[in-house]
Amino acid sequence: MRSYTGKLIRINLSNRQSQIEDIPEPLMKNYLGGRGLGVRYLYDELKPGVEPLGADNKLILMMGPLGATTAMSVSRIALVTRSPLTGTIAKSVMGGNFGAYLKFAGFDGIIVEGEADKPTYIHIDKDGIHLLDADELWGLDTQETHAKLRESHGKSTQVACIGPAGEKLVRYAVVISDRRCGGRTGVGTVMGAKKLKAIAVNSSGPLKVYDPEQFKKIAQGLIAELRTSPRRIKMSDFGTSYLTLGFEKMGIFPVKNFQEGQLEGVENIGDAELAKIKTKNDGCYGCMTKCGQVREVTEGTYAGAVSEGPDYETIWSLGGNLANTDRGSLIAADSLCDKLGLDTVSAGNSIGFAYELFQRGIITKKDTDGLELNWGNHANMMKLLAKIASREGFGELLGEGTRRAAEQIGKGAEDYAMQVKGLELPAYEPRAVKGYGLILATSNIGANHMYGRPREDLAGTTDRFADEGKGKAISRAQIGQAVEDSVIQCSFGPVTGLNPESRSQLLVAATGFNEFGDPAYLTQIGERVLCLERSFNVREGFNRKDDTLPKRMLTEPLQNAGPATGQVFRKLDTLLDEYYDALGYTREGIPSTEKLNQLGLEGVAKDIKKLGK
Amino acid sequence: MSVRVKLPPILQEPSGGVEAPEVNGRTVGECLESLEERFPGIKDYLFDRQGKLLRIFGIYLDADGIYPVELDTPIKDNDEIVILNFLMGG
Repeated sequence: MRSYTGKLIRINLSNRQSQIEDIPEPLMKNYLGGRGLGVRYLYDELKPGVEPLGADNKLILMMGPLGATTAMSVSRIALVTRSPLTGTIAKSVMGGNFGAYLKFAGFDGIIVEGEADKPTYIHIDKDGIHLLDADELWGLDTQETHAKLRESHGKSTQVACIGPAGEKLVRYAVVISDRRCGGRTGVGTVMGAKKLKAIAVNSSGPLKVYDPEQFKKIAQGLIAELRTSPRRIKMSDFGTSYLTLGFEKMGIFPVKNFQEGQLEGVENIGDAELAKIKTKNDGCYGCMTKCGQVREVTEGTYAGAVSEGPDYETIWSLGGNLANTDRGSLIAADSLCDKLGLDTVSAGNSIGFAYELFQRGIITKKDTDGLELNWGNHANMMKLLAKIASREGFGELLGEGTRRAAEQIGKGAEDYAMQVKGLELPAYEPRAVKGYGLILATSNIGANHMYGRPREDLAGTTDRFADEGKGKAISRAQIGQAVEDSVIQCSFGPVTGLNPESRSQLLVAATGFNEFGDPAYLTQIGERVLCLERSFNVREGFNRKDDTLPKRMLTEPLQNAGPATGQVFRKLDTLLDEYYDALGYTREGIPSTEKLNQLGLEGVAKDIKKLGK
Repeated sequence: MSVRVKLPPILQEPSGGVEAPEVNGRTVGECLESLEERFPGIKDYLFDRQGKLLRIFGIYLDADGIYPVELDTPIKDNDEIVILNFLMGG
């Protein structure tokens, strides 16, 4: 018995048919699971040029080989599709319990095809796969949707759903499971376009593994080590909020839509202040850390607001990025985004874009439905979030994302759209950590913080301000993230305790595939996944010209950013050359035939050749 | 008490490249004060504007994590303080 179920559900919403398919063993061995398997299926099944919000796009949800086992923090689920925000391939990895229970139900994944003619939800239980009417759910927020489905199917029902933002096709809508998100690139928008409100699962474990004794020994050894780990305990105590003040000191925490790098009063939204209103921890299946920080506002305008969060990214996007240091508003805004089903990063970034346009007089109150968009104005931030989710007034424009909004506004607005390939930048100032800049510029899904991390730059073992010499390290970081997303493991090292060796041992004990015992074999899978994603994009017309950063990063020295003041991206072209060379891509950013063949992607090589690349 | 403090690369910038300076103190907090005397400005990297140790740093005493007590932890002769920086998140 292997930890893969070896089965996936294929559902066509247009003809309301579903079937169960076997996942071929070579696919498991060559792509692991999660992001890797999802990307392979999408590449094979999507014709080039498919409209992301049309019936021909597919949404793939895929678990990993360790999911639903007793190992720590390995039960996330990957969502893969073509992004309506970027037009590139999209991947987002969602925590919570949903993935584990999908696997308990007997499935490694779901491929959703077509488009329903009316609001629909999918229910999976021991009796089968059911397509049900979602008229009563349509219009509900994500918490109400969870409650309603649990009322219908029982308290233990696990749910992945969209909120009003997904229904209204806001281009950065998320999929939510309890309070965990498939958060970036508009995966929730694709669900909305398919009129798929939710997927609900009723099932129970446990899941069998290939070598239960060996698996238990390794997993329990890791858990014993983690129990007393100060890094893990710190994650449990503060979540990722502990990064804010440190990054702000380093000039990494962008302020006022990336105009500056430090913020007066940032302590008000730092870890200690947020911890004062923490009520409990929450988290994912099979995790003892539970890094989610449930916080409740006890006084002031936002008294009563409760949220599991905000995490570092959202502390930035709805806080520092808007020069907003009001703690209560952050909790309330985070909660509102989760209920409405909005990506907090793209939403906060889009609002920051609007605030800067207002600062510069490019837009005025006439454009913003009468709202004053001054830095630090959290009341109007809240109003804008609601407008975006309902696509009302000025929110209609911001719901398109910064790239499309800038195109519509004109007057030079594109200079203030902080995006790459259409995806809004996350909470890392590229000029202050050049390795991060290179990751964001070259990411196949746009500017996503979960596409590799520049460990050496952040640790200080390499010069974070250097304009050269980062290509190899960044290609390794992106490959490493692709492995993590395919396993699928939590990307917070202190939470899983996994290293490449222990991860390989666990995978062999879980699956019985001895190939996984060699960490280098897994690294090659990561490289294959990365290369296939790039090939998907090449097929859609992307190349070197798209691997860039906002103009500000390339031309404006960073202001008020402590040790990073004055930094600017001087040699992006040099870094791109290094990166392409390290991965065996041409200087146009296209995987070479030799590299594709080396990775066993001969069919893809033929596809690329046909394009004349 | 004289002890050695192993600095992470990011703190070797204010230490001028010194990786493991000797400092004095009866507690970890006093040792960090001593570090500041030797390398003026290093506290700016370690503490926030309100004087609290930034939580991106983890302090270990003879390989044992001392979180959350950290600064008040007493030092013995021949102890070694190790500072690590935790800079990953999402």
